Amino acid sequence: MAVWDELEKIWYFMKRDMVSFSTYKTNIAVLLLTAVFGALSFAYLGQSAVSQSVLQSYHMDFTTYLVIGLAFNTYLGQALTLVQKTINPWALEEVLVSPTGLTTFIIGSSIWGFIWSTGVVAIYLFIGVYFFGVSLSVNIVGTLIVLALGIGTFIGFSMIGSGILILTKQGDPVTALITIATSLFGNVLFPPQVLPPLLRAIAYVTPPYYFFTCIKLMLTGWTIAMILPDLEILALMCFIIVPLGYAIYAWCLKTARKNGTLSWF
Amino acid sequence: MLPNENAIETINLTKTFKSKTQDSNRFFRRKTVSVNAVDNLNLEIKKGELFGLLGPNGAGKTTLVKMLCTLLPPDSGTALINGYDIVKEQMKVKRSLGTLFSVGERGFFWRLNGYRNLEFFASIYNVPRQKRHERILGVLKLVGLESSSFQLYQKYSGGMKRKLALARTLLPDPPIIMLDEPTTGLDAISSRNIRDFVKSTVQETGKTVLYTTHYIEEAAQICTKIAILKQGKIVACDTPNALRDKIKKEEAIYLIVEEVSPAQIEKMRSIQGVIDITEKNGEDLMPNQKGLCVKLQSVDQLPSIFDFLFKQKVKLVNFKREEPSLEDAFIELTKRV
Repeated sequence: MAVWDELEKIWYFMKRDMVSFSTYKTNIAVLLLTAVFGALSFAYLGQSAVSQSVLQSYHMDFTTYLVIGLAFNTYLGQALTLVQKTINPWALEEVLVSPTGLTTFIIGSSIWGFIWSTGVVAIYLFIGVYFFGVSLSVNIVGTLIVLALGIGTFIGFSMIGSGILILTKQGDPVTALITIATSLFGNVLFPPQVLPPLLRAIAYVTPPYYFFTCIKLMLTGWTIAMILPDLEILALMCFIIVPLGYAIYAWCLKTARKNGTLSWF
Repeated sequence: MLPNENAIETINLTKTFKSKTQDSNRFFRRKTVSVNAVDNLNLEIKKGELFGLLGPNGAGKTTLVKMLCTLLPPDSGTALINGYDIVKEQMKVKRSLGTLFSVGERGFFWRLNGYRNLEFFASIYNVPRQKRHERILGVLKLVGLESSSFQLYQKYSGGMKRKLALARTLLPDPPIIMLDEPTTGLDAISSRNIRDFVKSTVQETGKTVLYTTHYIEEAAQICTKIAILKQGKIVACDTPNALRDKIKKEEAIYLIVEEVSPAQIEKMRSIQGVIDITEKNGEDLMPNQKGLCVKLQSVDQLPSIFDFLFKQKVKLVNFKREEPSLEDAFIELTKRV
């Protein structure tokens, strides 16, 4: 009964965001066009790229590599900023005085963003497959596991960033660092094997690298067993970062409440 | 155990904020200053009472409300809401309370209509789903928003937004309601509507209301009991009439007289029992009239004043006994701290 009640609350959080979002019609059109043109431009880039030899070890062409990378980069961008979006100080106070827990609040506030991002990922993949010959062979279970671990890790970072933001009010270094790390080391636009040794070493300790490597392979016919070492590292990172992020967020929220600075933005 | 008669009870409740002050000449030298926002506060509000919390800006009213609704943890002491401890039983406290913050309208979702906003809050306030629709329509009707319930929130006027915030406060049907400056920034008609609504709600439903305001007459009009807060301390707590009586140390009468000379006023000062006489130039005076405020030790001295005026052939046009207003009480009592 209690679980059902919490799920129902999550549904109402999602409904609230969906209805609000649907009123920004121009914004929806712009976002959809951005997704379409993004997919088109990077697919063309992939077709004309010359450094495809590096990707031989992945057994995929550069277009497939790019389209999957960009599609899921949108997804993780959503995860990385979702907790920050919930800290409208007034709405936060209204929810905190209600008999609704922090976990329901975070999950409920993020669910619509993920549904929308799933739609954007679908647009990227659809254009890639039907117009540029991107070939996908999806390992559904593996994809879901990688997605869950990747989203969890990035939500963990989002909670750390939001916690810092609640205290400092301006400037979220975590989100900025992870965004940079994703573009540079994340195996999104180019494989880290092309980087100099020092940067390559950094890439191998960043979660985005493991997420993008695993998701790209899970969508192109690899099995879970084949990516197990990378998947284990991603899982380990997720299991450390999620509870750490939650603890930091809860501590920062508690501190801001204690100092009476929650609505000071 | 005897049932608790108090809806709200604070026990040595204390909250101190630390803030850094900056010396204008020494940029890097900052001093940390502690401010007692709520200072060892003991307060009892009975069930069914419409209790006014009055205080100047910065008195600690909002800090107290935020602590009572569990948003702000106290430094020491505690409070009981409907018998539940605000530190140890937060969920039970949240279920017993409806809180309207002074900027409550900012917590709504501007792209949703009034009904959808309340539907969302009904879910997070655990309003049973079978009763939800009926309850939302009920509170919208109660605050007079039934005809605009499907209008987008962003198109609501200031008064409508405040009414919707009030509707949200009533939505879970809590036994205790806290309204933090609910009429601030509203026009006279909207303010009066909200006051009338609060008063009738208390009378009809028996809810307990904690009403904070810095408008003195507003508190006097609707509250059955008022506490005056200054620098986090209660300086007085009583009924509006009793608060007025508290500062009534002497009797004062207002006389309107004709053709009185300064010398006669001086003579009047020497009458036994007269403490002071001040001239008051009211708009109700004719050119040959003067208004005199005469402070007496006791009302028993009144016949000797009239006798003096008769003997001096000073014509008495009118007189009335001066009662201190609640505003006088508020200023006097807050001055004493």
